[in-house]
Amino acid sequence: MHTSIDRLLDSANQIILGKPRQIRLALCCLLARGHLLIEDIPGVGKTTLSHTLAKLLGLDYQRIQFTSDLLPADIIGASIFDPDKRQFSFHPGPIFNQMILADEINRSTPKAQSALLEAMEERQVTVEGTTYPLPAPFFVIATQNPAHQIGTFPLPESQLDRFLMRIELGYPDFTAERELLSGKARHTLIETLPTLLPQVQMEAIQHAVTQVHVAGSLLDYLQAIIVFTRTSTDYPSGLSPRAGLALLNAAKAWAFMDRRDAVLPEDVQAVLAAVAGHRLRSGSHDSEAIVAPVLEKVAIP
Amino acid sequence: MVTEISKNNLIFLLSAIGLIALPHVKHIAPTVFAFFCLMLTWRFAGVWRPRWLPNKALLFVLTLAGIFLLYSQHQGILGRDAGTRLFMTALALKLLEIKQQRDLYLIVYLTFIVAASQFLYEQNIFMAVYILLTCGVLLATLISLNNTKQDNVLALKTAGVIIVQALPIAIALFMLFPRVEAPRWMVFKDPHQARSGLGDSMEPGSISRLGLSDERVFRVKFAGALPPKNQRYWRGPVLAYTDGKHWKQTQSRFADARRDKIKAQGRAYQYTIMLEPQDKNWVFALDMPTHFADDLSMNANYQLTTHKDPNRRTEYRMTSRLDYNTGEITPDEYRENLQLPKAPIDKIIALVQRLKGFDTAPETFIQALMQHFRQEDFHYTLMPPLMEDKPIETFLFEKRLGFCGHYASAFVYLMRVAHIPARVVTGYQGGEFNQVGKFLEIRQAHAHAWAEVWLQNRGWVRIDPTTAIAPERVEQNVDIEQQIASGAVSFIESDAAQALSWLGDVRQLWGSLDYSWQRWVINYNSANQARFLSSFGIETLRQMLYWLMAIVAFITALLSWLLLRGKNNNTDKVLIVYQRFCRKLGKIGLRRKPGEGAVDFACRIKRACPEHAPAVDVITGLFVKLRYGRHPTQNDWLKLKKQVALFKP
Repeated sequence: MHTSIDRLLDSANQIILGKPRQIRLALCCLLARGHLLIEDIPGVGKTTLSHTLAKLLGLDYQRIQFTSDLLPADIIGASIFDPDKRQFSFHPGPIFNQMILADEINRSTPKAQSALLEAMEERQVTVEGTTYPLPAPFFVIATQNPAHQIGTFPLPESQLDRFLMRIELGYPDFTAERELLSGKARHTLIETLPTLLPQVQMEAIQHAVTQVHVAGSLLDYLQAIIVFTRTSTDYPSGLSPRAGLALLNAAKAWAFMDRRDAVLPEDVQAVLAAVAGHRLRSGSHDSEAIVAPVLEKVAIP
Repeated sequence: MVTEISKNNLIFLLSAIGLIALPHVKHIAPTVFAFFCLMLTWRFAGVWRPRWLPNKALLFVLTLAGIFLLYSQHQGILGRDAGTRLFMTALALKLLEIKQQRDLYLIVYLTFIVAASQFLYEQNIFMAVYILLTCGVLLATLISLNNTKQDNVLALKTAGVIIVQALPIAIALFMLFPRVEAPRWMVFKDPHQARSGLGDSMEPGSISRLGLSDERVFRVKFAGALPPKNQRYWRGPVLAYTDGKHWKQTQSRFADARRDKIKAQGRAYQYTIMLEPQDKNWVFALDMPTHFADDLSMNANYQLTTHKDPNRRTEYRMTSRLDYNTGEITPDEYRENLQLPKAPIDKIIALVQRLKGFDTAPETFIQALMQHFRQEDFHYTLMPPLMEDKPIETFLFEKRLGFCGHYASAFVYLMRVAHIPARVVTGYQGGEFNQVGKFLEIRQAHAHAWAEVWLQNRGWVRIDPTTAIAPERVEQNVDIEQQIASGAVSFIESDAAQALSWLGDVRQLWGSLDYSWQRWVINYNSANQARFLSSFGIETLRQMLYWLMAIVAFITALLSWLLLRGKNNNTDKVLIVYQRFCRKLGKIGLRRKPGEGAVDFACRIKRACPEHAPAVDVITGLFVKLRYGRHPTQNDWLKLKKQVALFKP
């Protein structure tokens, strides 16, 4: 299993250049069965990353471009009258795919946003009294423009909480940029990618992640972090119990990807910025800076 | 500022103060207590209606009123009562002046003083438990004052834990801290308090009043076996002078040197007697005491008296023998014990003559007189008819109803008529055996009077004429309730008393508990402390203080260890070893930051000094496995210890 993960990461790194950590975090998020939020300015490879992951994982992939006139029915589908059968039949929307790229999610109205977020949480949609289960696995990778851009509806804290991680991609460095400029077009490369982690294996990994050992002393550290965020004056509100669980699950996945069967404080620290950043201060998007006091001040017991 | 103090804290504090001050209602003047209650109620109302609280001017007037109240009662602040009242008044006034957190602290400490002052009045076990509980509430108040979270149950729990933790140290301090005798102003003396008990003189009815009193006089704990029931005579005042109606003690004019020494033989009974506070300096002893403590002395009538303050509970150790001979008496004594108020009437002379009092040996006459009491229509009752005028004649020839006092005085009178030296001895007889504490408890109901006659070669011999009429009065304890009901002594043990035997058990258990409390807690004075501690080999003050410090230090260490152990678990020893490793690295300037994981730290070390990389990897790997791993083994632990010991940066 670990070799498949490494190969997958290698392949992804050849497509998205110079961002090994972000790719690793994104995969970690998926292995912990979480949804991913990528926040950055347009054109830094958000879509490419999600497309690459979908391709490498062999998942059905669908992109939904969120706009201000997007309606919930455009996401989940609608019942349409069929004149031949003389009855309404349900036409599933783009959400009925294993991996959804919700592009520029904060450009749409809160109504459309919440339609997607409800589906993320429930892993099913209900239209006119009928419940339709979503395919499994079901991942949402949402991208978001920085909130200060014109024509955006920032996601409220309660909905940000549904994303296990939030990552930022940032500009590529000089060599990566040069390579990007001199190399082939990315989307043609993506088309040639093989499936490196078939669904069965993916599910096995997801199960193995839940079995990673967590020692009492690690929970001490985790709780110390949670308590710190709740009592510190640095943050308007502390981490919720759901955030604590998210942190633990992400740390487990991280430990697994590191070929370990027990979580270390380093694992928690590695995922802390991605998991806690958007929950602690939604306005800012520099997660590393947000969690820096935690890493510095909370002693490892 | 007032708004900063929470309602919850105030209610808690005021309730605690109310509970603590409540028992003082018995001790302090009603006006002062009423003043206190008024202030407390006012403050209570102020919790919900802050505007009702007095302003500065009114508070000043109230303070003047308080001072006036105190001054009108005591003209000063010295002494137990005045001091207690001063604290009560001060507390009451301070209650109305709560402005800051600091005031609450002051009030709590004042309340602790008021709580302690209860012990100046009452030292029984109930009061101790009550004050301990109320102090727990007060402590909980103090805790919740310092706690931002309002959780009363938690505060009470914490207070309980604190008290339990403090108990061992309190006990150690109690036992080992040098006891000092209380200064004069603290002596618990109350001149107005009347105590019942045997008096200097005996008159008709004086002992029957005692017969109905359940009050405890003393308790006796025997070192070995108990004397037989019918020999348990506790000697008290000896009454030799009579005016025909009253019997009084004579002034002892006899020099000790002129008396014969008591020749005692037979079994020696060793015992400790613990006397309740009393007015007189008498110490009751089993007839006849042969060895006793130095602070006691024996007067010419073989009665023990003490040089100590009798108004406190005291303990004496002594030895008595039942078989004794007091030897010769002096002519003065002889004369005194034949004294009669005036010539006896003919009827009495005739009676003595009929019983051959003038012409037989004294022993024969005694037997005859006892036989007379037994055969004639004499009855025993604690409620005899009034015999104001000529009580002896009326008793002997008309009423023939009476109790020990009547029989003893009539007996002695007749003996003296027959020229046999005789006198009345008062004291206690019998006692209630406490099965639980294995001690005898003597109550006022056991008060008794008997006669002593002086016989050639035998000395003073005890004769109890009451046994002639009511042997049960001597051989078993009389049920007082039964006597009240029937107006006479019952000769049969009542069924009702047996049916309620469990009640008796409870009473005995309580008696035993109280005895232990009095003996080991209240009566633990410097002498008792010295005796108790010397049984552990602690003799000097220096040793005492060393032991005290050692024990307190030990308890503190033990409690700290228990406290720390709560956080200890198996991985902690791993952490200790790892910290040793970190300290070694600290010497070369590599210090782990608080938030730095072991693996990250290892990377930093390897960068700083690559030559240690293998050892650091091994140690970090083992540490991580032991602390966070799934199945750490004992072997890993041993390896880690060894590797850290070998590691030299």
